[in-house]
Amino acid sequence: MSAAVVGLPGLGTHRQVEHVMGMPISVALRGRHATSTAGRAAWREVIDELRRVDRIFSTYREDSVISRLNRGEVTVEECPQEVAEVLALGGDAEQQSDGAFSVTLPDSSGRLRLDPSGVVKGWATERASRFLTVLDDTDVCLSAGGDMLCHLADPGRPAWRVGIENPLDPSSLVAVVPVGTGAVATSSTRHRGEHLLDARTGRPAQGVASVTVIDRSLTWADIDATAAYAQGPHAADWLRGRGRTALVVWPDATTTIVDGRATTRPPAPTNLKQQPLNGRF
Amino acid sequence: VLQQPNGNPKDAEINAQALPILVQDTLSAQSADIDMVSGATVTSDGYVQSLQAALDEAGI
Repeated sequence: MSAAVVGLPGLGTHRQVEHVMGMPISVALRGRHATSTAGRAAWREVIDELRRVDRIFSTYREDSVISRLNRGEVTVEECPQEVAEVLALGGDAEQQSDGAFSVTLPDSSGRLRLDPSGVVKGWATERASRFLTVLDDTDVCLSAGGDMLCHLADPGRPAWRVGIENPLDPSSLVAVVPVGTGAVATSSTRHRGEHLLDARTGRPAQGVASVTVIDRSLTWADIDATAAYAQGPHAADWLRGRGRTALVVWPDATTTIVDGRATTRPPAPTNLKQQPLNGRF
Repeated sequence: VLQQPNGNPKDAEINAQALPILVQDTLSAQSADIDMVSGATVTSDGYVQSLQAALDEAGI
C-alpha cells in the first residue's frame, strides 16, 4: 500500500504511533519539523503528557488519582488542578445534554462513581497537541483512538483528509471529511462493546450506530459525539439544535449529515451556565 | 478555562470546509487517499486490524 501522502512536493507525511491509555496515539506531520529533532522532541512531549494524564484519570489503575478520589482517600481540592477542570467540563456537558452525558456512572456493581473518561480523551489530546502546533511551518494531525485534532501551518495547504469508519463494517469508510484546522470525534460501540451508557438510564445507548462531530474544539467534539450517541434516535436532532456539523450513521446503515454551517450562531456567551447556547437549554 | 463550543467566527470557516462527503461503503482507505481514520474508540487490542494501523504502517 502506498503512504497517504497528500499535496505539495516535498511535503511528505511522516507518521508515528505510540500506545497510551490503552489506545493508539497516531500522529501525522508534514512540513519543516515532520522529521526534525524538534519535531521528535515535541512528539515525545505529547506522549509524556498523555501518560501523566493517564496516571491521574485512569479508572483502570488502582493507584490513579481518580481511583483514590472514588475511594474517598483524597478530596478534589487535594488533587492536581486538572481534576477540578475536567469535572467542571463534565458538569457542563451533563447540563447541556439534558443529563444524557455524565461523568458519574454506575460501575459493574451498580454503585455510582466518577468516571470522567468521556471528557478526558478529547480534552487531554487537545491540550497535548500544543507541543506540535507551535512547530514552525508544520502541519499536524494528532489522533487518540480515532478522535483527532488537525492543524495547518498555512491555510493554503491542502486540508487533512479524515476517513470516517463505517461502524457496521470497520474495514470500510462511510465518509471523508476534509479538515484544515479543526477537530473530528466519533462515538460508536464498535470497538469496545456496549460501553457508552445513557447516564439517565445507566443502560447502553441504542438506536444509533455512530456519531461523528466536526468542530473547532476537540474537547467539545468528543463530548458532543458521546452525548449525541447517548440520545439514540434523537442524536441528529440534538446535534442540529446545537448548531453542530456532524454525521450520524444509523443501525440500518442509513446516514444523516447535520450541516452546522446553516445555523445562525448566537454571540459567544461569557458563562455557559448563565447564558443558554440555544433555545434548548 | 472552558472552551466555547460555538460563537467563535473561526468556527464558521472550519465548518464551511468540513462537511462530511459520503462515499460508497466499499471504498477502502487506500483508494480514498486519507490521512487519518476517525472511528469508534480503537483500543490497542483492536488496533492491529484497524484501518488506522494500515495507514500508520505505510510510514513516511
